[in-house]
Amino acid sequence: MINVISKVKVGIIGMGRIGKIHAENILKEIPEAEVVSIADIEVNKAKELASKWDIKKIFADPREIINDPKIDAVVICAPTNTHSDLIIESAKAGKHIFCEKPIDFDLNRIKTALKVVEEAGVKLQIGFNRRFDHNFKKIHQLVESDQLGNVHIINITSRDPDLPSMEYLRSSGGIFMDMTIHDFDMARYLANDEVEEIYAAGSVLIDPKVKEIGDYDTAISILKFKNGATCIIDNSRKAVYGYDQRIEVFGSKGSATAYNDTPTNVIVSKENAVCMDKPLYFFLERYKESFVQEMKDFINCVIRDEKPIVSGIDGFKAALIASFALKSAKERKPIKITDESI
Amino acid sequence: MKKEIRIGVIGAGRMGRIHTQNLLKMQEVEVKAIADPRVEDTKKWASSFEITDIRSEWRSVLDDPEIDAVVVTAPTKFHFEIIKAAATKGKHIFTEKPLSHDLESTKELLHFLEGKNVKIQVGFNRRFDHNYRKVKDLIVSDEIGEIHIIKTTTRDPDLPDIEFVKNSGGIFFDFFIHDFDYIRFIANSEVEEVYAGGSVLWDPKMQEAGDYDTAFVSLKMKSGALGIINASRKAIYGYDQRVEVFGSKGNILTSNDRETNVEVKTKDGIVIDKPLQDFQHRYIDSFLEELHDFVKCIIEDKMPSAKPKDGYEAILIAEAAKISTQFNKPVFIDNLR
Repeated sequence: MINVISKVKVGIIGMGRIGKIHAENILKEIPEAEVVSIADIEVNKAKELASKWDIKKIFADPREIINDPKIDAVVICAPTNTHSDLIIESAKAGKHIFCEKPIDFDLNRIKTALKVVEEAGVKLQIGFNRRFDHNFKKIHQLVESDQLGNVHIINITSRDPDLPSMEYLRSSGGIFMDMTIHDFDMARYLANDEVEEIYAAGSVLIDPKVKEIGDYDTAISILKFKNGATCIIDNSRKAVYGYDQRIEVFGSKGSATAYNDTPTNVIVSKENAVCMDKPLYFFLERYKESFVQEMKDFINCVIRDEKPIVSGIDGFKAALIASFALKSAKERKPIKITDESI
Repeated sequence: MKKEIRIGVIGAGRMGRIHTQNLLKMQEVEVKAIADPRVEDTKKWASSFEITDIRSEWRSVLDDPEIDAVVVTAPTKFHFEIIKAAATKGKHIFTEKPLSHDLESTKELLHFLEGKNVKIQVGFNRRFDHNYRKVKDLIVSDEIGEIHIIKTTTRDPDLPDIEFVKNSGGIFFDFFIHDFDYIRFIANSEVEEVYAGGSVLWDPKMQEAGDYDTAFVSLKMKSGALGIINASRKAIYGYDQRVEVFGSKGNILTSNDRETNVEVKTKDGIVIDKPLQDFQHRYIDSFLEELHDFVKCIIEDKMPSAKPKDGYEAILIAEAAKISTQFNKPVFIDNLR
């Protein structure tokens, strides 16, 4: 057991959008941890942030963090194609690891990385923050406590408020690996079972440029679980009314539905219509609390030597389903999920 | 006063009786005769409405020169013969869905009906439901722009009798057919590709009957829009009927109708009414509306909303869904035409 008086010393690798969120959350919300150092290729930008937060050690090279004996855990928020190498090096250096999703676009590289993590005996948690969301966590609890009976149908609606830049999309790994991957993880989490087969269909309906890069902006994924349950996921890269995140689980004893969270619950009734708030704008607003919760949970696992709720295997499975989803959409046929062993 | 339209009802089962009672509400309509082999039962039921002309043989209804139109609510396997005969005799026809029991007979019927100078309407009542009609109106008035995703949820309150299931033609023909028609109705595009799957999660007897009790159908429209239907033969909390349409300018969502809007708040939580219990309650108004529209089409010489072609297209999708589950692959609709 780690000395409870000393804080978990964290280094953050990658200071983009999500790296900043994790840094801020640890600084402000998690007294059991401290951000000792940060690394980013754009070292000047990182320095600017660090001075605001009073972080002393700023590096361009993540190895400076990984090889620092004072560091207990690393949070990997660098671009996806660097994840596997960073995981491997961190595990070898005996650091606990929190890594953003997806672990990697390449399944074999994920396997290699997970093997090293296992051998090193360090914690690895993947950033599937939605498992920590207050609404979805409640649905999961309802399933776990058998209030819904056997799960028959899971409906997940997951739509972004706007199309990201083409530059982002080009390096995103595609809609299934970038966006639906959260839903794939949620489906596995709620079904409490493994996916046997997937069928996915995609369209380009928002911007023809998406087609040029071989991606989709609108998609439906159907997951058949081994226990006979079906999960239906619908995605759009652009919902004009905001970030649309809803889940319904239908079971033998009943159904549970989570609606969107809204900035306020005020309803305005006028001559022509009754209006309410749109959903919270995007993931930073909607899942704000879940980012805090997942990091708290990770730090807790490090302190108490417990298993993280989202494991490396979960990260692998979601990426596996995502890669089969893309194959299914391209080949226009359902595909059995194979290569589950790891 | 002589009524404008005289109608004969063929088949006095559950739907036949619902339609008859609705026809009786229309001032312009007289229910002239009812045909059903269960004559005594039917007479007993009809006596309270002062309908006295009850016949065992449906053909005699068609021979009655005073009858302008027939409502076909006989079992599906008789639709083909009855509709053909009625059209030949120049009777206008309102028929329950599905138009016929399989794709081949439906195709033949469609060809036969071409050029026949009678009004023919198929009983896709959801087109006339207050919620579902508003969704259509909003789409027509371009409130949500181009359609990208259509999702429908359709769940019955309880498993039907297994004998019913055996004669139903299967979940895609019996159950999904309404969703198929409705999605075509609002999508402004035909279905290009169908992928379907099912499970038996409620009762192993469903498997013995060669059917599913839980199923989905995924539709790819020619416009690129994606449709997805999820269905269960049993929802413990009642009849669950919802639709969501997502478009470039917004999203439309319907909820279930409930008996009352009363909320009960206690220390355990907030409780509201369950959805209306079954289709007779949920769609009661739409059955009246669809039939009234049929009568208006005759009187005003208009084209009905749900035509034989629509009945055919829905069956085509059902057939594609069935084939898709057999081979576990998507099916191109045009290959079945």
